[in-house]
Amino acid sequence: MTRVDTAKTIKERAACLDKIAREVRERIINMIYRAGSGHPGGALSAADIATALYFDILNIDPKNPRWPDRDRFILSKGHACPVLYACLAMRGYFASKHLDTLRKFESILQGHPIHKTPGVDMTTGSLGHGLSIGLGMALDGRLRKKDYYVYVLLGDGEINEGLVWEAAMACSKFHLDTLIAIIDKNRLQMDGACEDVMPTGDIASKFRAFGWEAFNMDGHNMEDILLTVEKAYKVKGRPVAIVADTVKGRGVSYMENRFEWHGKCPDRDQYKCALKEIREAEQ
Amino acid sequence: MRALKDVKAAKAPTRRAFSERMKEYGSIDKDFVVFEADIGYSTYSYLFGEAHPERYFNMGIAEGNMVSAAAGMAAEGRKVVASSYGVFLTMRALESVRTYVCYPNLNVKFLSSHGGFTPAIDGVTHQATEDIANMTTLPNMKVICPADTISSRKLFDVAIETTGPVFIRLMRDPYFDLYEDKDSFHLGGSAVVREGKDITIVAYGDIVFEAVEAAAMLEKDGISAEVIDMYSIKPFDRKGLLGSIEQTGALLVVENHQKRNGLGYELSNFCIKHKPIPFDNLGLDDTFAESGDYFKLLEKYGLSKIHIAKAARQIVEKKG
Repeated sequence: MTRVDTAKTIKERAACLDKIAREVRERIINMIYRAGSGHPGGALSAADIATALYFDILNIDPKNPRWPDRDRFILSKGHACPVLYACLAMRGYFASKHLDTLRKFESILQGHPIHKTPGVDMTTGSLGHGLSIGLGMALDGRLRKKDYYVYVLLGDGEINEGLVWEAAMACSKFHLDTLIAIIDKNRLQMDGACEDVMPTGDIASKFRAFGWEAFNMDGHNMEDILLTVEKAYKVKGRPVAIVADTVKGRGVSYMENRFEWHGKCPDRDQYKCALKEIREAEQ
Repeated sequence: MRALKDVKAAKAPTRRAFSERMKEYGSIDKDFVVFEADIGYSTYSYLFGEAHPERYFNMGIAEGNMVSAAAGMAAEGRKVVASSYGVFLTMRALESVRTYVCYPNLNVKFLSSHGGFTPAIDGVTHQATEDIANMTTLPNMKVICPADTISSRKLFDVAIETTGPVFIRLMRDPYFDLYEDKDSFHLGGSAVVREGKDITIVAYGDIVFEAVEAAAMLEKDGISAEVIDMYSIKPFDRKGLLGSIEQTGALLVVENHQKRNGLGYELSNFCIKHKPIPFDNLGLDDTFAESGDYFKLLEKYGLSKIHIAKAARQIVEKKG
């Protein structure tokens, strides 16, 4: 599947992306069901953002995964990797048959992303490191006088990690306007609501206090995603954080807003029900 | 082999010699970058920063971020040095080192100053006495420790030429220069700094000098001790060690590090498998050190030449 025709109107692009996102969701559910484990909640909350990135925003070449001028994407919330693997397979980085091997012995698709998988820019999974890695990549781009962007997708639970704020300080120090952090704010983490486990407060204000520009967007509205990223390109001299309001488990009714579905595999009936709901959403 | 009288007081600590070579290398490899965590004037990485300011990134007092950012840059194909004190690099930033540098096998080299309790007066918070254990345990990681300024410069080149992560343990204070410019060093190598036939004493870094002095003491007792500078800790020189202990039939390993999981443990394991012989190892015995004069700490924690000589005599006696 190729990138959406960026010459089209934003409404047309959004409609194409919505359709693709449904297939991405279907693949996420298939993958996790066949693996027998995985993290559906956070993969589904990030599905629209990842789809917009991989099928519209990112300047990448699946035939040349290490193309030096490509945009970089770091899935800092690495446990959501089924969404990344679905997008990479659909863009043609590797054959879709590999999706059935997720988490299995000797698979190219490890339980959390690794650098060796075609299309994966960097190993991630232990939370809190992605922004630091993106910082290193953005500094590299500046030294090489390249104009690529580095996108880092974080979870809102993930920003509990102090390392995120060390990186936030440093990205600001180096005025990295080629780095865009997107926070998938689905309001839930593994043990419950972020509000109860570790309240994050106003995330956008916190990034602004660290010297960033920050925007909010609806993480399930393709038009809003595309327009907000456009807005981020116009910011010069500092990094941009985009706080995306999302729903954990989005697209599968019984998973939505339920922290129990952070890292649980559906049983056979639940699996069928999930696929049905995702497909019916298409009509 | 060099006689003790030929050993000259070093003009600089190993951390400085290493950083001076790093600065020179910056002019050769224009893609090479250095990350520092706010102790550049102590690690001497500032020398690189002054010469190549556009490739010197001070990340502030945030070692975890520094190492993960260094990993991000190394993932783009560069050679990177990340510089700090050993105690912070190997613990505060340990997960970054393990998961984001060693696992993807990236070209990040760790300039790790203040190894062992060489920052003696600073106290335990700044003493890196578990660094070798932590670093040698990591897959893909190589570990080296130069004893003098000449080997520091040469081992910088070895680290840079080695693919993947390399941890370089450096010391706070100047000691002596053991080597000459013509001497060569390689990964997995070692150097016999004094030949002997009754016992092999293995040390690295600052302790090499204590071992050399202990060997001189032993000579007066009629014991001929061979002293090996095991500057390459992982991998270590299996062939060199085996050659020496086959001849001497006894081994003593001494290190400014915890006894547990240090080079002594590694070499005892080697001996059990390949050459069971009378053996002992000296190091911190499941204890922290403290603030104080470096030589007083050596005495109190059992690493001085007197302790080394005593342990060597006991091992030699066991040979019967």
